[in-house]
This record gives sequence, C-alpha cells and structure tokens, in this order.
Amino acid sequence: MIAAASPFPLAQFSDLFGGLFLNALAWWQWLILALVPPAIVALYFLKLRRQPLEVPSTYLWHRTIEDLHVNSLWQRLRQSLLLFLQLLLVAVVMLACLRPGWRGAELTGDRFIFLVDTSASMSATDVAGAANRLELAKTRVGEMIDGMKSGDVAMIISFSNVARVEQPFTDNRRLLRTKLAHIRPTQRTSDVGEALRAAAGLANPGSSGERDRPGERAVAEALPATVVILSDGGFGPVPNFSLGNLHPVYVPIGSGAAGNVGIVAFTAERNPEKPDRLQAFGRLENFLAEEISVDVSLYLDDTLVDAANVTLPPLDAQTGQPGTGGADFDLADVETGVLKMEVKINDEFPLDNVAYAALSLPRRGDVLLVSPGNEALELAMQTPSARKLIDLVVETTDFLATKPYQDKAAAGGYDLIIYDQCAPQIMPAANTLFVGRLPPIPEWSAAPKQAAPAIFDTDRAHPIMQFVELGNVRIAEATPLKPPRGSTILIDSDLGPLLAIAPRDGYEDAVMGFELFGAQEKDGRTQTYVNTDWPIRLSFPLYVGNVLAYMSGARGELAAASVQPGKAFVHRSESPHESVRVVSPTGRSATLRREQQSVFTYTETDELGVYEVFEGPARDATRRFTVNLFDSQESDIAPRANIYPGNTIVAGQSGWESARIELWKYLLLGALGVLLLEWYIYNRRVYL
Amino acid sequence: MSTPSLSPPLLSPALLAQLERLELVSRKVFRGRMKGERRSRRKGQSVEFADFRNYVAGDDLRFIDWNLYARLEKLFLKLYLEEEDLHFYALIDASASMEFGEPSKLFYAKQLAAALGFVGLCRADRVRVETLGTSHAAPGPTLRGRKSLWRMIEYLEQVRPGENVPLATGVKNFCLRNSGKGILVLITDLMDKTGYEAAFRYLVAQQMDVYVVQVLSQEEIDPDVKGDLRLIDCEDADAAEITVSRPLLDRYKRTLAAFVDGARDFCTRRGMTYLLTNTKLPVEQLVANYLRQRGLIR
Repeated sequence: MIAAASPFPLAQFSDLFGGLFLNALAWWQWLILALVPPAIVALYFLKLRRQPLEVPSTYLWHRTIEDLHVNSLWQRLRQSLLLFLQLLLVAVVMLACLRPGWRGAELTGDRFIFLVDTSASMSATDVAGAANRLELAKTRVGEMIDGMKSGDVAMIISFSNVARVEQPFTDNRRLLRTKLAHIRPTQRTSDVGEALRAAAGLANPGSSGERDRPGERAVAEALPATVVILSDGGFGPVPNFSLGNLHPVYVPIGSGAAGNVGIVAFTAERNPEKPDRLQAFGRLENFLAEEISVDVSLYLDDTLVDAANVTLPPLDAQTGQPGTGGADFDLADVETGVLKMEVKINDEFPLDNVAYAALSLPRRGDVLLVSPGNEALELAMQTPSARKLIDLVVETTDFLATKPYQDKAAAGGYDLIIYDQCAPQIMPAANTLFVGRLPPIPEWSAAPKQAAPAIFDTDRAHPIMQFVELGNVRIAEATPLKPPRGSTILIDSDLGPLLAIAPRDGYEDAVMGFELFGAQEKDGRTQTYVNTDWPIRLSFPLYVGNVLAYMSGARGELAAASVQPGKAFVHRSESPHESVRVVSPTGRSATLRREQQSVFTYTETDELGVYEVFEGPARDATRRFTVNLFDSQESDIAPRANIYPGNTIVAGQSGWESARIELWKYLLLGALGVLLLEWYIYNRRVYL
Repeated sequence: MSTPSLSPPLLSPALLAQLERLELVSRKVFRGRMKGERRSRRKGQSVEFADFRNYVAGDDLRFIDWNLYARLEKLFLKLYLEEEDLHFYALIDASASMEFGEPSKLFYAKQLAAALGFVGLCRADRVRVETLGTSHAAPGPTLRGRKSLWRMIEYLEQVRPGENVPLATGVKNFCLRNSGKGILVLITDLMDKTGYEAAFRYLVAQQMDVYVVQVLSQEEIDPDVKGDLRLIDCEDADAAEITVSRPLLDRYKRTLAAFVDGARDFCTRRGMTYLLTNTKLPVEQLVANYLRQRGLIR
C-alpha cells in the first residue's frame, strides 16, 4: 500500500479520525473512484426509459399502483434496488481503500518485546472473556501481533521468578503466534527483573537471533524497542536496572475488584513442652476490603482432623497491608503423614487456599559408641526414650582400626559416633561427640589438663543443653577447649570452655573437655577412676538424651522442608546411593545424581504439593518435602496500577485498546457479497 | 356441420354432440311467445300433469276431470305443465381489450355464446346473439331451430374487436332493444374504467335471468412481465408506469381478487349469477361443469 505523501488534504485525513483510517490511495486515484458513483447514477437514469407494453386495460394497474404513490419515496428506493446495491458496492470499496481499523495509540514503533507474566497469580480467574489472566494476556499479545505492520519484529519472553525467552526477535508472525500459544501457566512467584534484563540484553546487537538456527534472522540492531509487560504487577521494584532505550508499556491484566484470601505460612512443630504433641500453625492474609470469617480445615493424609474458624480483618486501604490472622491446631500422637491446611473460600485465586506440611518420616538414628567401657554412658543411652530414637552399637576402641568401621564411617553409615576416651584417625562422615579427646583435625585444640574447673555457665538455648542443670556437678580434671571459629560453647568454666560444638562439612562435632571416667597407668595396670559425679546426677541422662535427639538426626526436623515453587530443594543424604528419585505431586518422577559429597539438588519444583524422595531402590519414601506458594505478593492478586522497573514509574494503561484490527479485508469480502447479491437479483429477477 | 372460416371453428363436432343433450334452464317464470319444447313453470296445455284445482265458472270444460267428478260429484280442473319457448340472449363485449389472450377473449366469448346458443336452438328456444356495440339499426338476428345454427355462426364470425362502447351504454342499448324477458348471458372482461355497476343495474331492472361471465386472459390473471414498463391501455391509450417487483405483482393480484370479489358480490346481491373464467379453460369444460353447476343448463 502506498502511504500517500501528497498535497491532497486526505493526507491529513487519518489524523482527523485518530488513526481510524489510513489512506491507501493517491489523490488522483481518489478522483477516479469518486467519479464512479455519479456515473452509475447517470447510467441508471438512462436505463429508466421504460419499455412500452400494450395491455388490455390499465384499469387494475392504476388501482394497484394508486396507494404506492402515497409513500413514493420509499417506493422509489425499493424500485432502485440495483442502483443502491451498486452504490453500496462502490462505497464499501472506497471505505476499504481508507483501511479503517482500530489501533492502540501506544503501540507504536517497529520492535516489540512482549513480557508475559506466567506467575501463579496469573492463574486467577477474575477476567471476563478468558479462562484466566494468562489466557487474556495471550489474547492481548495475539492482538498486538496482528496489529504489527509488515516488517515489524517482536520477541516474546515469559517470566515468573525466572525469565524464559519463548521467541527471539522475528518478523514471522506465525512463529510468534505458535510460540505464544505454547506459553503455559506456572505456580511460581514473580520477578520481572530477570525478564527485563533478558529483554535489555537481547535487544542489544549480537545477542539476539539464534545463530544455530539458520532459519531465523538476527534482525536485532541497537534500536529502541517497546517492552510490553502483560502482568498483574505482582512483583517488587526492579532496582539497579536501567531501561535504556527500552520504552516500557504496562498492560495490567485482571479486574481491579479482585480480592483474595490466602495462606502465606504453614508449619508444623513439636510442642517444646510436650514433645509428643504437635502444633500446626497457619498464617492467613485477607486482601478483601471487608472483614471476612473463613473456615480453615486441617487434614492429615486427607482425613479431616481439625477445623477452625478464623476472622480476618479487612485490607488496610491506607497502608495496603492485608488483614492477617492465624489458625493453630494442637495434635496428639502424630508421628508422620502429610498435613494439609485448606481455607474454605471460593475466591478467584485457588492456588493459595491450600498449604501442605510433610511430617518427616521417623528415622532411627544409627549411633556408634566407641568406648573402652563406660557403664554410665551406656546406661544413659539405653533408657526407653533413647531406645525410641536410636539403634545403638557399642564397640571397643579396637574397632576403630577395622575395615568395616572405616568403610561405614567414610560412607556416612552412622548418624552419630561417640568417641569415649578415644579418637579416630580421620574424621567420619557423621556427627561426632568426643568425650575427653580432641578430634584429629587441627581446628580443635585444648589447654593442658587442669584440676577442678568450676562450671559457671551453660548455653540453655541450645537443644543439647535444654533442661540440663549443672550446678551440682563437680569435675576433677579437665582440659579447657579452644574450639574453632563458629563453634558454640555449651559449658563454660573458670578455666575455659568444657563443652563446645562446631560445624564441619554439614556435620557437627561436639567435644567434651573432660572424661567421665579417667584411666591411668599405675603399677603396670590400667586403673579406672571417676573423673566427675555428673553420671549420678539427674542432668546426665537428660544431657545424653538431648545429644541423641539432636545429633542422631532422629527427631531433628519434624516438619520437612518447604520451598517456594521454582526454588531449588537440596536433599542431603547419608546413604551410599549414587542417585535418588523424586516424585512430584502429579507423579512426575525425576532421578537426581549426587553432586557433592551428599547433596542432591532438585529444581523442578513447579507444582504445589508434597514431593517424595526415594533413595536408591527403596520402595518407601525416605523423605518428603513440600512446595507451597507462601508469597504474600502473589496472594495479593489485585492488579497494580503502576510498576517500577528500574528507577521509573510505569502507569498501567487502563483504557488499553486492542491492537489495530484491519477491516479492509472484511470490507472487500462484503463488497464481493454485495456484488453477488446484485448479480443474483439482476439475473433471477428477485424483487423485494 | 362445419363452417368455412380461417380461424378455428367456434364449435367442434364433439362439442356440438355434447351440447345437443343439454338444455337451458331459467330460474324465473317467463312467458314465451310461442309454444316451445320447454316445460315452463306455468300451468297450461301439455301432456304432463301438474295439479288439480277447483272449477270456477268460465274454465275450459275440456280440462275437467270427469273421473273425479264421478267419484266425488265435484268439479275439479286438471292442470298441466305448460310447455313454452325461452328467450335466450348472448351479449358479447367486443371491445379492443377482448382481443388479448391466447385464445383471445373475444374468440372465447364467441365460442361460449355459440355453444349456449346452440343449446337453445336445439330446444327450439329463441336465441339472439348481439354485441355491446350493436346499434338499433342493425340488431342481431333472432334465431330459432337447429337449422339456424349456421346463421348464428356466421353472425359471430363477422364480429370484430374494436367496438369501444362503454359497458353501461352497450347494456342500456341492449335493454332498450330487447324488452322481453329471458336468459341473458353477458360475456365481458368487465375492464371498463367507468365501472360495471351502472350496466348491471340496467340488467337488474330488466328482470332477466342474468348470467355474467367475466373472461380474463392468463396475462391478466397472472401477469408475466419484468422490468421497468410503460403500460398502455389498448382502448384509450392511457399509460401506467410501473417497475415490476414481487410486491407489486402481489399487490396486483390482490387488487384483481378484490375486483372479482366485488363484482361477484354485486351480482349475487342482485340475483345475478357471476362466473369468472380464464381463456385457458376450455369452453367444453366451462359449459359442462361450471355453467351446469351454476344452473344455467342441465
């Protein structure tokens, strides 16, 4: 089409109607077209010479047409049907030549980057005319693609918490539409920063167009581009980012009246005072403008175990803070299972109405006690509560030299090894407790043995020292410790630390600076003597129980880890298997290879729900973890009025019009229809 | 009994054979001038017994039933049905508009007149065939007897279209010429711009047994015309400009139907019999079926 650059006033015609028309003809072409209707009318008048016909009598004819003269104008119109059809045909063709259409005024430029939000909140169903927000956004992009002029290039990036280039710059609209249709919703959180950086990066020369695909042209040059962000704006500002020559356009998706109630946190903990009881706590946020009372149900393995009614205050209109409320449940005799908390509310964003917490499977710790003989320790480790937690193996110090020990210790076969009055050659892949000895690593050192330390402080906040009262404990000799950096001193005395714990490669080493029973060479015989009266105090079995509970990993973490969708989950395994299998809530199975010593990283956390980890060929899951949305920003599904990419404010285009829809094709089709109708009437003499 | 003519014969031998068995019927009692073969409703002299009545002085003694007198000793007169002749008039509209149609309406009218006239001739009725344009100076022949058929045919043959006499004038003249009572069959297309009502009133005043046969051609009943036309009246050259369209044709048909209904209504109210016919309908069928149903012949 020729854009008329002529002195003819029609050149300004399109400006007059705000882009409704685009002139497609030059002035002399219009002149020719304008002559056609008068010509048709003239021809029609020529045609009006009526053919004479003799009839027996005009008597009845006169009476017939008598009343037709009453509304003769309409009759004339009706009689001139063919004329009007011809004039209509010309009018439609002329209208088609004006290329009428509607066009979003802001969609200017010739390079577009469409950023389509696929985060969880885009699954909200508060939009009219589409299944959810994402579908509406895709429809909008489709319209904009339709509105692209020939030669315009566009790129599609979908983003949730990560960005994904669906289609680099291309002028192939069919390809763009295909790639657009392939965009699927995710249940992830949103972060536009990566997408904006990707857009800015790909807009630069040299980084767009995929060179390994010869079919695509690397058409990008260092030219300004329009970034169209189709989102509900549920992401924070993007600092440290400059838009540069990107022109941002924000198209808010979603109705402004959208409200939502969502779960933003859900955890299950053991009651610290009553360890056999379980506390589940959920935190809810209300984004509605009115106070709402919701029913919260708690399910254990899909069986309803408890329910509560929670009243949530309304959204604070001034600060924008949602109304929050909590629901807590107290459960007894729950060792394992999946807890599900559900808010019974029919809102437009159902994803955050359910939260999961997997209670970790009970696992008895494998504990090895290497000791030349320590009755007190053995007794303390065989109490009924201790036997619930661990499987205890007691070996003498000779065992340290054997191959089975070395293999199993190196492979992480033990959860906790207690070295009583002995030390291994190398540190095992396990938590350790050294009694009266130092670990064989240079970080640990100790002062020479001194007599009668006076304990003056214990770290009662640490799980090991909980409820352990050492005021009545006397110690004969001790070697004050010099623990490494980052360690925690659990028992401090006037001589120095007597018990400290320090991390080591994912394990923890606790070192006691005094023995329970000393041994000394006397007269060629080894004599055992009592170094402390702690074993006869009440605090000793408590201390041993705490050590076993904390360090054997048995009851270490009750509620399994919960990660947000899209975030990586790190699984530590002490098992010797080279791979673990993770099964998603929908049954998708993935096999992970060991990355480091004992770390497996799982990244496909796209689905909300409970994931199960199978180690090696095990049939039963050895671990569970959950993926929950737990994002206040996503739960606040009301579309934001403005977004803040970089240091700018981009206001949403509330009155967004769809991209230009060209009508000329339909007009020409209509003209063809008129032509066919005229032909039919003329030939078949069908008269109205 | 063929008649030399260029146009197809008015009456085919088969039709004649069919017509011989028919007779004209009058619903009214007319006094014939001569004795005919027709049983009249009047009582009179014939062989067919009708009724008895008391003798009054002056009655013809020949009709007294003496057998009854012998039984009852009272004088009764035997009454017989009178047999008499009938005046049959056929009045043909020979205006220019009658020339249209295939066959032309005029030919059709002549055929019908001839057929009915033949029926009358066969039954020794007085038959008179005239056109609306017939003047006092040259009235149509009065015919009687089967042998007069050729004269009637001859007369009809010489009737030419173009006698553009208004219907009312023609009928008035006819009534002035023929004061006698009888059966009148008026064969016309009724296409008179001055209307048919005046003409029909003359006929009503004449106290005749009137049959109006409106003959229309197929073109008039269902016009097959297209395009933009200037219609010219063949009688007075009046013009009507029309653009043919489906509604116009529908409207024309409605107008025609209203016109026909009006004429039928007018006739029925005044004791006349109205019949609409199309030139497509063969005369044989018209006579044998429709006119029989209407009671003109039996």
